[in-house]
Amino acid sequence: MKQRFSFSFQWEQMLFVLILLAAAWSAQLSPYYLSFEQILNSTRQFIILGVMAMGLMVIVILGEIDISQASTLAVCTVVLSKFSAAGLPIWLALPVIILIGSALGSFNGILITGLRLPALAVTLGTMGAYRGLAFIIGSEVGYTGFDDTYMWLGSSYIAGTAVPTSLILFLLVAFAFYILVHRSVYGRMCFVIGNNADVARYSGIRVPLIKIAAFALAGAMAAVGAWIFVGQYGSARGDNANGMVLPLVTAVVLGGVDINGGRGKVLGVVLALLLVGTLGNGMGLANMPGPTQTIVLGMLLIVSVLLPNLVRQRSSFRIWSSFRTRGGRVPVK
Amino acid sequence: MSTTTANGAVRSQTGGRNLANLALRLRVTGVLVFLILLCIFFSLTTSTFFQAQNARIIAFNAAILVIAACAEAIVVLTRNLDLSIGATMGLAGYVTADFAARNPGIGPELVILALVLGALLGLVNGLLVSYGKLPSIIATLGTMSVYRGITYIYARGQQVTATQLPPWMLKGVDAMVFGIPSLVLVAVFTVALVAFFLHYAPLGRTIYAVGSNPAAGHFYGLRTDRIVLFAYVFCGTLAGLAGFLYAARVGTVTVILASGWEMTALAAVVIGGVSILGGSGNIVGVAIGALVLATIDNGLVLMGMPEFWRMFIQGTAIVLAVTVDSLIEGRIQAIFKGKRRLGQQQ
Amino acid sequence: MEFDRERIQIGLPRLSLHDIKKSFGAVCALEGVSFDVQAAHIHALVGENGAGKSTLVKVITGLEQPDTGHVRLDGVPCRFRTPMEARAAGVTAVYQDPKLFPHLDVAENIFMGIYPTSRFGMVDRRAMYAEAERLLTELGMPLDPRSLIAGFSVAELQFVEIVRAISTEVKVLILDEPTAALTPSEADRLFQIVRQLREGGTSIILISHRLEEITEMADTVTVLRDGSHITTQPASSLSEEGIVQLMVGRSLQTFFARADKDTSKVQEERLRVENLCQQGVFENVSFEVHAGEIVGMAGLVGAGRSEIAQTLFGITPPTAGRVVLNGQEVTVKNPHQMLGLGMAYLPEDRDGQGLVTALSITTNITLPVVSDLARLGMLQPQRENALAQQMATDLEIKAGSLEQAVASLSGGNRQKTAFAKWLATKPSVLILDEPTHGIDVGTKVQVHRIITQLAEQGLSVLLISSDLPEILAMSDRILVISEGLQVAEFSRHEATQENIMFAASNISKAHKL
Repeated sequence: MKQRFSFSFQWEQMLFVLILLAAAWSAQLSPYYLSFEQILNSTRQFIILGVMAMGLMVIVILGEIDISQASTLAVCTVVLSKFSAAGLPIWLALPVIILIGSALGSFNGILITGLRLPALAVTLGTMGAYRGLAFIIGSEVGYTGFDDTYMWLGSSYIAGTAVPTSLILFLLVAFAFYILVHRSVYGRMCFVIGNNADVARYSGIRVPLIKIAAFALAGAMAAVGAWIFVGQYGSARGDNANGMVLPLVTAVVLGGVDINGGRGKVLGVVLALLLVGTLGNGMGLANMPGPTQTIVLGMLLIVSVLLPNLVRQRSSFRIWSSFRTRGGRVPVK
Repeated sequence: MSTTTANGAVRSQTGGRNLANLALRLRVTGVLVFLILLCIFFSLTTSTFFQAQNARIIAFNAAILVIAACAEAIVVLTRNLDLSIGATMGLAGYVTADFAARNPGIGPELVILALVLGALLGLVNGLLVSYGKLPSIIATLGTMSVYRGITYIYARGQQVTATQLPPWMLKGVDAMVFGIPSLVLVAVFTVALVAFFLHYAPLGRTIYAVGSNPAAGHFYGLRTDRIVLFAYVFCGTLAGLAGFLYAARVGTVTVILASGWEMTALAAVVIGGVSILGGSGNIVGVAIGALVLATIDNGLVLMGMPEFWRMFIQGTAIVLAVTVDSLIEGRIQAIFKGKRRLGQQQ
Repeated sequence: MEFDRERIQIGLPRLSLHDIKKSFGAVCALEGVSFDVQAAHIHALVGENGAGKSTLVKVITGLEQPDTGHVRLDGVPCRFRTPMEARAAGVTAVYQDPKLFPHLDVAENIFMGIYPTSRFGMVDRRAMYAEAERLLTELGMPLDPRSLIAGFSVAELQFVEIVRAISTEVKVLILDEPTAALTPSEADRLFQIVRQLREGGTSIILISHRLEEITEMADTVTVLRDGSHITTQPASSLSEEGIVQLMVGRSLQTFFARADKDTSKVQEERLRVENLCQQGVFENVSFEVHAGEIVGMAGLVGAGRSEIAQTLFGITPPTAGRVVLNGQEVTVKNPHQMLGLGMAYLPEDRDGQGLVTALSITTNITLPVVSDLARLGMLQPQRENALAQQMATDLEIKAGSLEQAVASLSGGNRQKTAFAKWLATKPSVLILDEPTHGIDVGTKVQVHRIITQLAEQGLSVLLISSDLPEILAMSDRILVISEGLQVAEFSRHEATQENIMFAASNISKAHKL
């Protein structure tokens, strides 16, 4: 399995190179690219995505999936709009939506672990249900009357600089997740569960709790994303973040997280987000229309899973057959 | 209540023997009952629901969804998903409409273009899933965006207006045959075709087999790869047809044609009794599922409720359907693993 | 099922095996096995666990390829690459785990892939149901070909598998433990069918542990032991005891003789189990294990020993019964709880349930105690490495670095890593399930030494093993489990390979030998 580890190391390097290439391409496309302010400002494109991708990453490492996060964000933005309209102060509204986000996520988690439902199917359903809920709460008109305290995070800059405040938040979140995933007991357990849930269980790990916690966390991240969202776009409507599923899953998978679970690095996902952001920035500067950008994203998604698969199919044959001769399991009887 | 067959077997005995078997059989009946209950509900709460005119509207609205749901069902039966079905409909529909606009005077052979396009798009999905070994969510999530993007690029910002479409296309969609909308007839024909295929063609039966127990499928020598590939191609072809019909129906064809149809088609499929875990369900159920969704839409409009309740209902229906199916499947698997006979003392 | 009678000549065996050898890495599963199976015979294949029976079946049906040797069918050499090829040639096996489609009906399961077709290539359903009904009637099975097999009992599933097997011409039908899950009357019906098939010319290879069945049904018996062919004789010349003696009649080389324990001091009782039941799997299992004791649990594969262990450890909580651990009554709920109470379980499936092969040795060893080693929820690599290092030294785990993945270790070292993992939790009761399964002799000795040392240090050990010499050498007492019931208990002195095997095979008249 050494092959597996060295492969992962190459992955981050490859991403780094791709980012440089993407930056070079963007710079060549437009003279506006290479300005510090522009680049910093453009990070706003992927900050919301990034915060949520962190939450999704843990779920995927566990060997599950969640495609309802974007819908959870929408619920949270419209709830925020209700709070804003009612005059609730932000320091009160924020914890409440984080609770709501966690609750929505936990619902997924409970269905998946308690009733043993397949995660994809469940979150497919809650994706629609939560989205519908967002519409029902929010109505089709959309709310734009957020006051400054609500919008602070998503629209402000660090005192006097061009650094968006939300970027700092994202970096903090990324760092926190790094600690959680790579340095904490919880993270270790996630990797074990993703590799072999049976062994985890037999080793005394409380698998259902860990899974539910991961889904709750992803929901909480969606709530944080909602807070940034209202600041960044100044509006809240039922269709917020519609279609964010694609870049979310792409960011995680492109970041080297194995879709089958058990493997992944926070650094990889951050690099993937940077890559997606840089590409998006460049494409925006080149005036590429939205759907074209989506094609690129779709291709990235497919290729980032396809390539390792094809490589694995070639080499796994050799690894596997060498295992069978290495005093591996002898068939019983 | 039982009858005896030639070899002394007591028929329907096994049906009543346990919940799992019964549940599988009753799944479709359940949907039908649900549909009837819905109709009763809407008839009671609105004044305009219970009319022949309304029934025709519902059937008309449901027709294209039925075809899309049939397409999706074929893939779901193999334990896979196709999230790109809306995008396939959109691309096939747009390209076909655009082609018609450029070649005025083209006849019904235009449909073939839509079918072929759909088949190709489905082929890509199938290759990615079967041979690229991509999880179907990844593959079809990716192709969904790629197909939408291609539609956009192809359109170059234009839309195809109704006046550019051949008159037979527009009129054909609205035409009535013996008082029944032609669309409905096409839908019925599609359902019959797919049902016949799944029930009588060996390939159709293997689709069920692959979804029911892929491991056994391998053991029996079934070519799982090819079967799944075929399922995606068939799905794409039907999606192409649905896209064509949808384009004809709306007249003004834009690049966002059939956006979001994947969720609706999937909802129709799972409501209609096709288990998302594969291997069970039938096409008639799927058609009823599509009718259920169309009825809910219609009822909501007549009740004056905003349209986005539909999304909430769709999502909830999927969650409920998945729960029921998982519970049934859990029972089946538990019995399937078998228990021992304790202590045979001679 | 009429065969070309000319093919059945006296003297030309239906199936002929020549010098079949098969190894998996360092372990040799089959050593030069040769024997013949005659046409229209019921030929029993017996041997203990690990004797090589299932490997042989895999070789015959094409799931595995022999390293050397060949197989002849009706005199013609054949080498099948897949089970489908074998089936096409007339060789079919029916196993215990059903390879059926639960959502389809009986007739479809029988004819999947080989449908009767009408013109246009469509499935002729009427013909299919008619043919299914005919087959079922012919074999006297009251099943409705139209019923879905989801929810069938195990017996019915097995019948469907058999009908499926005989729906095409079958020359050699292999039945692997067919009566394991059947009631006596169902078993009788099965054997009626088997006899019928024999009349029709089919040869049946019957693998069974039920010696009574074998002596009653079989025409010929082949005994395998430790991968070698011991004998092939007419069944009439053998008694049940005789078969057992042939199955286990190896000279007992004690690789590691454990000194007799000083039984003067009775140690405290660590684990007491009373009438433990797992519905449908085992019932009324009762025993105690004292500190420093090794209690062996013997039995045939599938008897339920692993299930007993998994029930005790909380993987599948018991449906009835009482468990007292370290003097306190416990309601067994899950592994997390039992681990905390001082129990540890080393699963039989080392790579699938015991270790995460893709992760490092250190990670695996520290896994159950990682929370204890941590501070404020954060991992403490120094403490982990120290612990892993110490265990690796104690157990002599040979690895370049403890950071390398477990997958790169040999089987023996993996097993030691699994040991290390559980010993790190400092358990008071250790359950070992086939601890020396599939590892080389040298490591076996080491493992035995480790187990003995642990017992001397006061650990209670429950040793589940199919390796009779091992269980005889290591245990203070031996429990025998047969088909979900506890049938015997032997002290160290009374136990012999034969009487363990008699008990495990449910031979009611067990002579003390």
